[in-house]
Amino acid sequence: MSRINIYHLYPTHLNLYGDRGNMLALCRRAEWRSIDVNIIPVNPGDDIAFSRCDLLFMGGGQDSDQKMVAEDLKGRSRDMLKAVEENMVIFAVCGSYQLLGRYYITAQGEKIEGLDIMDLYTEKGKGRLIGNAAINCSLWEPPRTLVGFENHGGRTYLGPNLQALGTVLHGHGNNGTDKTEGAVYKNVIGTYLHGSLLPKNPLLTDYLLQKALAYRNQDSSFQELDDSLEEKAHQAALKLAGLQRK
Amino acid sequence: MENNQQQNENAGFTGGRPPGLRLLGAIWIGKILIFLTRKLGRGGTTLPGRAALSIAPDLSFMLAGRLKRGTIMITGTNGKTTTASLINDILDKAGLKCIHNQSGSNLAWGIASTLIENCSWKGRMDGDIAVMEVDEGAFPDVTTSLQPRGIVVTNIFRDQLDRFGEIDSIQALIKKGLDAAPVGSFQIINADDPSLASLTKSKKTKRWTYGLELDLPPDDFQNTGRDVKACPNCSHKLEYVKIYFAHIGHFHCPSCSYKRPEPDVRLTGRRVTGEGINQIEVKLPDQTLELEVPLLGIYNLYNVLAAITCARAFYISTPIISEALKNAVPSFGRMERFQKDSKEMIMALIKNPVGANEILRTILNQPGKITLVVAINDRIADGTDVSWLWDVDFEQLAAVKNRFSSVIATGLRAWDMAVRFKYAGFEPGQVQVEENFEKAVELALRQTGPESKLFILPTYTAMLDIRRYLNKMGLGNPYWEEY
Repeated sequence: MSRINIYHLYPTHLNLYGDRGNMLALCRRAEWRSIDVNIIPVNPGDDIAFSRCDLLFMGGGQDSDQKMVAEDLKGRSRDMLKAVEENMVIFAVCGSYQLLGRYYITAQGEKIEGLDIMDLYTEKGKGRLIGNAAINCSLWEPPRTLVGFENHGGRTYLGPNLQALGTVLHGHGNNGTDKTEGAVYKNVIGTYLHGSLLPKNPLLTDYLLQKALAYRNQDSSFQELDDSLEEKAHQAALKLAGLQRK
Repeated sequence: MENNQQQNENAGFTGGRPPGLRLLGAIWIGKILIFLTRKLGRGGTTLPGRAALSIAPDLSFMLAGRLKRGTIMITGTNGKTTTASLINDILDKAGLKCIHNQSGSNLAWGIASTLIENCSWKGRMDGDIAVMEVDEGAFPDVTTSLQPRGIVVTNIFRDQLDRFGEIDSIQALIKKGLDAAPVGSFQIINADDPSLASLTKSKKTKRWTYGLELDLPPDDFQNTGRDVKACPNCSHKLEYVKIYFAHIGHFHCPSCSYKRPEPDVRLTGRRVTGEGINQIEVKLPDQTLELEVPLLGIYNLYNVLAAITCARAFYISTPIISEALKNAVPSFGRMERFQKDSKEMIMALIKNPVGANEILRTILNQPGKITLVVAINDRIADGTDVSWLWDVDFEQLAAVKNRFSSVIATGLRAWDMAVRFKYAGFEPGQVQVEENFEKAVELALRQTGPESKLFILPTYTAMLDIRRYLNKMGLGNPYWEEY
């Protein structure tokens, strides 16, 4: 039987915007395919065995929590980067997406050094970018839609060689100006979208699971699931964003 | 003579001074708009106050200042409406004429409308005291204008991140409001909430605290809403001897001296009768009370304690308190019961993970089969971000899914809710989706057998919609709704 070890970073500190929904989606969709999922919660100070971790999930946090998390992660960045280069999967939402970059500046103007895993940085902006969002995601060819909700004060800018997760169809995206949303580097995906993101976008959930299996050379061919409810929710969210699926 | 005495108690008291022309004009405009909006079948709780405040920005200050016994404000994430209504019941029993705003009109405009509605055309207040539920976001400004005699803060939880921001910013709002309270006023604070007990108070205000001291059996709820983890003083992880729900309990910081304050009013005993009545024992500094309250749920114990503490701050005698609480009825959409033919319907507002988890816990404690309707809207008053649904422990329901004759998702975000049910562990065939409220309630009633109860859990605007439909069927009282 296939098996995926999901390391859940700081579940008590990074769980702001329904991140539990993302974890549930990963677990349930693996279970429904009889893939054994092992969840390892990581708390500040705990070790992360990168040799065993297949998928690292990082959620969003309040500014006060985020600083603590940044401190705690600093010592692990070298190991993390090495695993990333070997194609370990990371899925990071909102606050922890910012943390994957070079630095970010908090609402109070404080500069926090990031993990420097992705070539991006985050500045503070005027007002928060809030609302339903939809993007055209280029993980697939042709691109497919992802739908979610964004709520962030930071404005993230990608380096010239970093690929965005998608193009904004509705909403603000990384910074409200350049129409990019999220970022992809190897098997690392960072995004501002929550909602929760994964339950309504089963395609992305399956993408992460498959990459995690492939990372350990396990069979990543998937049986299809009945996604009619998820599909309806996806469509309803597209409609909310004033869009119909192309 | 009495006026002089009251004036000392409430610095904002403007006594019988005649209102200026501008204030009078604002009152008249407000009154006319209340009349017109009612004529149009609308609640008229926002527009009249808004128009009146644009003419006389100090209207609320001036009118509230005319109340002989001043104003009590109730704020916090959960329990505002119930606590305000309990305080209102007690003061009413004590013979005071209360002015009370409805949930939904708890912003500055709605509060102004409530004051206008309860004054004469000459600006004379028709009441002794105002009991005002106040939105956390509006709390600092409303405190400045109402200059309350007392403030009750129930708790702080994560709620509507799209509107309030993170819990740190809610706490900052509460602090700002408390700091704006007048000299000589009192504060009633939940001792079991670490984000409140740490708020400093100015020397010239008095503070009373309340808390639970019960041994409750632990349950499987994951307390997903534990938003306060770190000590507010030194950021060290807080430790708990007891947790009642979320971050509410007996906490202490192992690193600094911060700990739960010894409450002035403590709930030390509780028994639930077969009819769902809470028989409780409450220890006040000078006596022990035994009383009965017909409200379900642990969270309501906190609301009851807050109301008792507030009543004691007003020197209301304990027999009056007991009598008022014994006859308490659930507020608007808070475990409100309706009877349709022989079928029992219970409606409970859900709006954030902690509150919703407490409702689910209470539902599971009911005997018999359950039909469940969850109605999710994402209008501004509901919160436009529905991701909080994923922090509600619906898994606890799915763990006993055979107890549910059916689960129905409805509302503008019905499909999100349906997906939530599926991932909670309900069988996809067990989950029904009916976006239209009326049809969803009809469907649910059809599927509710004689041995089962129908629970309807709506978000705020979904509750207004469903209520309108129930009213049409002749159930419940008509009401003035907010725009």
